[in-house]
Amino acid sequence: MKTIIISFISLLAITGCNKFEDDMNINPNLPSTSSNTQLIANAALYLPGLSTTPQGEYNAQFLSETEYPNLSLYNQVSFNFYDLYTGPLMNLETVLKAQSYNGNEGPVANQIAVAKILKAYFFWHITDRWGDVPYSEALKAEANFTPKYDKQSAIYDSLFKLLEDANGMIVTGNISNDIIYGGDMTKWKKLANTMRMLMALRLSKIDPAKGTIQFNAGMAAGAMTANSDNFVYKHLPDAANQNYWYGQVFGMNRSWWALSKTLVDRMKPTADPRLAIYGEKTKALPQDYVGLPYGNTSVINKDNYSLMGTGIWKQDAHIHLVTYAQMLFAKAEAAKLGWIPGGDATAKTNYDLAIEQSVRQWNNNSITGLPAMMAHVDVVYNPATALQQIANQRYIHLFMHGYEAWAEYRRTGYPNDMVSPGGKAVPRRQGYPAPEVFNNATNYQQAIQTQFSGQDNLTGRVWWDKP
Amino acid sequence: MRLMHFLLGCLLLFPATLLAQKGRVVTGTVTSMQNAGLENVTINEKGTNNTVVADASGKFSITLTRDNSVLVFSMVGFQTKEMAVGSSSNVSISLDTDTRELEGVVVTALGISRKERSVGYSTQSVKGTDLTLTKEQNVLGSLAGKIAGVQVVGSSGASMGGTQKVKIRGVNSINGSGEPLMVVDGTPISNANFGGRNGGDFGNLGQDVNPEDIESITVLKGPTASALYGIRGQYGVIMITTKKGSRNAKKLSVQLNSAVSMEQVGDFIPLQNVYGGGSSQTWRTLGSGEKYVDMAVDESWGPKMDGTMARSVFSFYPQDPEFGQLTPFVAHPNNVKDFYETGTTVNNGISMTGGGANHNFRISFNDTRISGIEPNTWLRRNNLGLAASFDLTKKLVFTSNINIAYNKGQRPSQGYDGGSRYLLQWFQRNIDINRLEEYKYADGTFKNWNLSRPSAAGVMSSYKALYWNNPYFEAYENLNNDNRSRMFGDVGLSYLVLPGLKVSGFARGDMFTQNIEDREAFGGRYVPGYSTAKYENREMNYEFLAEYNKKFNDVSLNLNAGGNLYSRRYTYLYMATKGGLSSPGFYNIAASVDRPTVTSYLQRKEIRSIYAMASAGYKDTYFIDASIRNDNSSSLPLANNSYWYPSVSASMIFSELMKWKPLNYGKLRLSFARAGSDLSPYQTTPTFGVGGIYGTTNTLFVPDNQNNPNIKPSFANSLEAGVDLRFFKGRLGAEFTYYTQKNKNQILNLDVSGTSGIGSTVINAGLIENKGFELSLSGVPLQTKDFQWNVVFNIARNTGMVKELYPGTNVYALDVNTYSGVSVYLNSYVGKPFGSLIGKAYQRDSATGKILLGTNNMPLYTDATHDFGSVVPDYTGGLRNSFRFRNFDLSAMIDYQFGGQFFSWSKMLAVKTGMAEETAALNDKGKNVRDALVDGGGVKINGVLNSTKQEVTVYVDARTYYRTTLGTHVYEEWLYDASYIKLREIRLGYTFGKRVMQKLPFSSMNLAFIARNPAMIWQKAPKGLDPSELSSGGNSISWLETGQLNSVRSYGINLNINF
Repeated sequence: MKTIIISFISLLAITGCNKFEDDMNINPNLPSTSSNTQLIANAALYLPGLSTTPQGEYNAQFLSETEYPNLSLYNQVSFNFYDLYTGPLMNLETVLKAQSYNGNEGPVANQIAVAKILKAYFFWHITDRWGDVPYSEALKAEANFTPKYDKQSAIYDSLFKLLEDANGMIVTGNISNDIIYGGDMTKWKKLANTMRMLMALRLSKIDPAKGTIQFNAGMAAGAMTANSDNFVYKHLPDAANQNYWYGQVFGMNRSWWALSKTLVDRMKPTADPRLAIYGEKTKALPQDYVGLPYGNTSVINKDNYSLMGTGIWKQDAHIHLVTYAQMLFAKAEAAKLGWIPGGDATAKTNYDLAIEQSVRQWNNNSITGLPAMMAHVDVVYNPATALQQIANQRYIHLFMHGYEAWAEYRRTGYPNDMVSPGGKAVPRRQGYPAPEVFNNATNYQQAIQTQFSGQDNLTGRVWWDKP
Repeated sequence: MRLMHFLLGCLLLFPATLLAQKGRVVTGTVTSMQNAGLENVTINEKGTNNTVVADASGKFSITLTRDNSVLVFSMVGFQTKEMAVGSSSNVSISLDTDTRELEGVVVTALGISRKERSVGYSTQSVKGTDLTLTKEQNVLGSLAGKIAGVQVVGSSGASMGGTQKVKIRGVNSINGSGEPLMVVDGTPISNANFGGRNGGDFGNLGQDVNPEDIESITVLKGPTASALYGIRGQYGVIMITTKKGSRNAKKLSVQLNSAVSMEQVGDFIPLQNVYGGGSSQTWRTLGSGEKYVDMAVDESWGPKMDGTMARSVFSFYPQDPEFGQLTPFVAHPNNVKDFYETGTTVNNGISMTGGGANHNFRISFNDTRISGIEPNTWLRRNNLGLAASFDLTKKLVFTSNINIAYNKGQRPSQGYDGGSRYLLQWFQRNIDINRLEEYKYADGTFKNWNLSRPSAAGVMSSYKALYWNNPYFEAYENLNNDNRSRMFGDVGLSYLVLPGLKVSGFARGDMFTQNIEDREAFGGRYVPGYSTAKYENREMNYEFLAEYNKKFNDVSLNLNAGGNLYSRRYTYLYMATKGGLSSPGFYNIAASVDRPTVTSYLQRKEIRSIYAMASAGYKDTYFIDASIRNDNSSSLPLANNSYWYPSVSASMIFSELMKWKPLNYGKLRLSFARAGSDLSPYQTTPTFGVGGIYGTTNTLFVPDNQNNPNIKPSFANSLEAGVDLRFFKGRLGAEFTYYTQKNKNQILNLDVSGTSGIGSTVINAGLIENKGFELSLSGVPLQTKDFQWNVVFNIARNTGMVKELYPGTNVYALDVNTYSGVSVYLNSYVGKPFGSLIGKAYQRDSATGKILLGTNNMPLYTDATHDFGSVVPDYTGGLRNSFRFRNFDLSAMIDYQFGGQFFSWSKMLAVKTGMAEETAALNDKGKNVRDALVDGGGVKINGVLNSTKQEVTVYVDARTYYRTTLGTHVYEEWLYDASYIKLREIRLGYTFGKRVMQKLPFSSMNLAFIARNPAMIWQKAPKGLDPSELSSGGNSISWLETGQLNSVRSYGINLNINF
């Protein structure tokens, strides 16, 4: 009997029990090869999320909460950046490290250049919000599960380099699957150089020398020249590609957002034609534009305040990320600061043009009401208060691009009438993602020690944010 | 044990029929003490091999071979009796129940029946009759409290066949997963689950077993018992043996079984009836000065419900008789309760058994119709079962078991933001629910209670539901429908090669098709939509087994060897509309406004196994066992896919050596085993994800979870020791087991820092160790001619410890839930028990431990980093009492749990939205806590001022305290101990006596009153939450209650008739 059993077992064992059909464990439900331009396109799908998020609007105090005030009171400290690393940045990194490229999708150099520009854009956004973040050791998957945090100054240096490289490597020839510029590489090139100028301006307090060099380098390499060059994410009129605000306001029936008093009180006196786009008139009579005091916690009647404009929350709204007007404001400021020649004259020219281009951008290229506004005493370029005027007008222009407006507020201190809800000052940064405390403990601790004396809170200042 | 009888029958039938011609025939009936006919009793003519088996009504017929014969009546579970036949040709005998099972037979892995004394590890069984005491429909639910070390976490009866989840010996995997394998008559069946925390709970698929078909369930608790199941047995095995017909049944026997029960919601969170809808006690007014109820607020922080004349929400509908009128603003205290209906369950079953000299069979059919306690919810279920066996030749036997189940349901949604659950989360205490029942006006306009506010002129801008649909709209328009066809069973041949050597081969299959449909109706709060999904699973097992039994003098030998080929093919097709539906009432994928979402999926898996087991006994006193299994899994990488799983065990019947009279049976046992588990397919090679489609541009992405080409199976090593004792002729029995189990090299989806570019990775890591004991006591404290009292008590304690994780990592994140920007986590930490609950706690003064109060006197709270301790209970078990007095029988089943904890959202939200009773209680000054602080109102709190470190007692604004502070942030407040003692089942039955039966065409009849879930005897958690019903669909660990369905009490009658 034992012999029978033993021989039976040996028989089964010898027959190669563990060899299965080759494809048995290959997933048929997902692709195992990729297209680099499709990876880039997927990364681009994350772009609107950098702008259409309530917290960004609250940090810039563009919007007030009409009901259930919570995030506008700066209650949340920890914010997650994992999605940005595992989502767009890992896609882009995979493109940058790819072993093979498909030339049918456009010149390989251009595929790489676009990946570099987008990588720079996402990292710029990340470091401005959180401060020092994993960069040089990040995105290496199993090779490093605990990347160190790089200094913001070093990250800025790397990003300037990325943009410079991208500008330099772009060749003639469109790329496919480009959902931003339809493959037009001249526009990507202008974007890279414009980003370089805007990033350079961030260094206005911490390192004006380096800022000046980078600003001029970007400008010389060819920045945006029209609103058609704008870096815009265009939502589509379908549920899969719709505006976040549409889902909230229309889908979820949430009329929870009104224009802030801070914003309306800056626009209404000058009869700013953009106000009619930004918000709705009150339902209550007399119908007018009324901002809701930011940080209000008492129960209010929504009918008495201007809610977010329908054009802002519509399903296929455009999200303006880097714009021609922004670049013009930057040039105006740079001229005033003496980074570029021309002084007040150049500053004024660019300032006036910036406002015009902003109105054209928001008001469907219409400049109705623009001359009247430009004539208003608060708007007319005044060399004595130019930096404040530029900053305030840029603030209005950056409406709904909260994180960018907030960064400019932190850098310039304008608008200088921001509210401290419940005594809480406008944040200077955002707290690191809670899981970093245990996923990347050593590096996290080191990062908060070296930057913020061990406190991971909203009041610590990032490197370029000097008081 | 069924199999043993079957084998005995097969082996002995042949000589018995030969001899029969020589003697006279004696017929008779064997009954239980309740006078019910006893099926399958073995009747042996003492001193011979002449044996027959009683049929389903207890009738038998035996041809005697000797004079002065004595018949021996025996059956597992009953005391063996002998009876001298004398000259009578018809005998009747009643057998007494034997809870002691002096010399039982147990079913072990692969369905191998063995003498209990030869088994060196712990197994525990429950008889079918104990499972269907009160007609519980889900077989896993009916195990609650009945087996030591088996924890059952159920769900409310409102979901009609919802999830019942089983964990054996604690949590044995770091990610909390790992369910026991379910095996029915040797066929492994799927116990998958398509439910989640939100939406319909379609239940665990193991419920497709018809409880009425179950003869017994044996639970193989640890790797030792389940080692022969190798890679699939790491988390234990639940082995179900179904009823069979008996050989030589003289006639067809028919059993009818009917039960009707009524279900009612039994447990509510206590709500306040003082303040109505709104966010402020100040009335809102129209331009005309008329007060109106704030219909835009789904909370009850509004004005006092003191009869003030105001415009209700209905008064703004021109179609409404109340249009434009003022009505008194009053409480509707039962507005949540009144939504629920009385449910009914009607269950009818029939079974037929029969058999001849060379065959036996059983056919059963069961029909269950449930109408749920939530309006417009129902379930229909049909089960068809067939079990048959034929002798093709004297040595070749064909057997087959076929089970078919069909389920069709329309179930309520559970969880947050679906169905009617919001009535306890976001609602107004002043709404008259009866006014909502007609959820449409005559012109088709939907009637809602929650709308945007009117203009000053009293004109509504929209009648579209604001945040919540009318609950009746949810019930009658937003339908969840599901149905499932299921078939499982086997066909097999066994051949007796030599006396003692049997070889058999089986083909076993389990197939199901699960369909799930979901509607988001037109006119509701959301974009209308429709989704449909079809899940198909086919699992086949081809099995070979050789069994050899031999006895040489004092040595007995049992050898088994076999092999198994497992293959699984699983596919699904999920489709959902996107962007709305093109025409009203047309619920179809073709109606999708945008390109619909479609996912098709295929999964294949194979496991090839060989195994052998040898057991040797000496003098029926010493036994030693060894088994080994080799598994080859297709879902592991080729280099790591072949593994061996050994086990050894030994037992000693020391009572045979002691000869101490009160101790009838004493066994010591010791065992060691290794079991394993692999992972789901497709986790060893890299892939890309398919991303969103922008216009005509398709996108791809790098997945967040990284696959691993070097993954290995995980291993569980278990050591177990125990003692089984029976005293006083079995009046008292005890089984005690101590075990340790180390689960090593777990296959984890380890969360890593997202900055690495991936969110998690499949990895072998970690060690989780469980230790514990199980004690089962049974006894017959009282036994007289007319009265018998039986008790079974189970208790188990398990302590688990996470010993290791991935190097450099000491936290494993299991689950997270974020609401209103505040997160709670389920994490595991190295050096702590499995499953810590993490969230915001009160900040406390380090000196006094009192709560710290901030500048506004509000409690201060920590970040969401406070560790509240483990979610896993310390003790679980049950107590079953059964009494028999003459023709009456009474059984009561209690199960309990001590320790463990959970967060409750339902309670948190009921408080946050000002609905819970405490938000409108009186404070110590006799004022309502909502009264202004200057008037003596406010919630009294005691704490230490953070600024001065002075202890103070202060009064704070109720809304700020409950809504903004506690209800949003302080999860410590919503953390509850999950301990409970629950009366789960009661049955009071009456068996009709012979006098009645003679007038009826039946052989026996029992009528019983049954109650399921009649009372929670004690619980630590507040009223309205049931810690025994926290299952949330497929989630493996129940730690967060997010709107569980209300607990349901069920009362009914059950009639059993035997023809």
